[in-house]
Amino acid sequence: MGKVARQVVEQAGVNVDVLIDKLVRAAGAEFTTFYYYTILRVNSIGFEGEGLKEIIEDARIEDRNHFEALTPRIYELGGALPRDIRQFADIAGCPDAYLPSNPTDMKALLNVLVEAERCAIRTYTEICNMTFGKDHRTYDMALAILHEEVEHEAWFSEYLSEGPSGHFRRGAPGASPYVRRFMTADIA
Amino acid sequence: MWRRVGRVEEIPPGQTRFYWAGSKPIVVANRDGRFFALGGICPHRDNPLDGAQLWGHLIDCPWHHFLYDIRSGENYFPRNVYPEDYPELQKQLRPLPTYQVEVRESEIWVDLE
Repeated sequence: MGKVARQVVEQAGVNVDVLIDKLVRAAGAEFTTFYYYTILRVNSIGFEGEGLKEIIEDARIEDRNHFEALTPRIYELGGALPRDIRQFADIAGCPDAYLPSNPTDMKALLNVLVEAERCAIRTYTEICNMTFGKDHRTYDMALAILHEEVEHEAWFSEYLSEGPSGHFRRGAPGASPYVRRFMTADIA
Repeated sequence: MWRRVGRVEEIPPGQTRFYWAGSKPIVVANRDGRFFALGGICPHRDNPLDGAQLWGHLIDCPWHHFLYDIRSGENYFPRNVYPEDYPELQKQLRPLPTYQVEVRESEIWVDLE
C-alpha cells in the first residue's frame, strides 16, 4: 500500500473503502468478461460470425488488460483481490456474459456483447464521477478504460446497425491504445 | 398505508434516494420531476439500492449493475441477454416492488400497501 497515496485521496474527500470496493468489482467484471468473451469468440463462426470474431478478440484482450491495469491501483490504495476466485466472480460488478441459448444466433450473441460493454461504460463513468478532481491517478486510469469500453460498445453497436462511430480496427489484436501506459509490467 | 418518506428537494431530477419507511427499505427516483417509489433491495443478491444511479427510466443497482424499469419494477438488464435455458438465472430477474407516490406540499408520500 502507498501510505501517502491513500492519504491524499482520503483528504480529498473520497471514501477510499467504497472506491476500493468499486475497483475490485470492476476488476472482477473484467476478469469474468475475459472468460465469457473467450466462449463467445469461439462460437462466432459461419458467414455472420467470422467477421465478428476479430473484434471480440480485441475486446476480450483489452478487457484482460483492464484487469491488469486495475489491480495495482487496488493494492496501492490498501485493497486486495479476494483470495478465492469464486468470491471474485460473485462480486463482479457486471452480470455474466453468457453464450445465448442458440449459439448460432449471431444477433443474440451481439446483444450480449453490446450490453456487457454498456455495463462497463456505466461502471467507469461512476468511478470517474467519484474520483474527478480528487483522486487523479484512479481517475486517469478509469478514464483510459472508459475510452476503450466506449469504443467496444461502438464496434458491436455498428454490427447491429445502430449507427456509425467512425472507428476503425486496432493496429494489433487488443492493442489497448489508452490503457497500455498503465500496464507497465506487461507491455514494453 | 401512506407514509411520508422525505422531501422533494432531497432528490434532484435524474437522481435517486434510499429511505427506510419504518422497517421497509424504499428507493425513490426523480425522473424529470415525476417521482417513482420502488422496493429498496435488489432481488438479485438482496443488496440495498442505496446510491443507485438513474439512466433515463432505468435504475442501476450499484452492486452488480442490474437495471430495473422504474415505471414497472421489471428487470431490464440482464433479462434482455440472459439465456432462457438456465432456470437458476431466471430466478435472479425478479422485479422490484413498486409503490404509489404522492407529493403533498413538497413532501414525498408513499403507499406501502
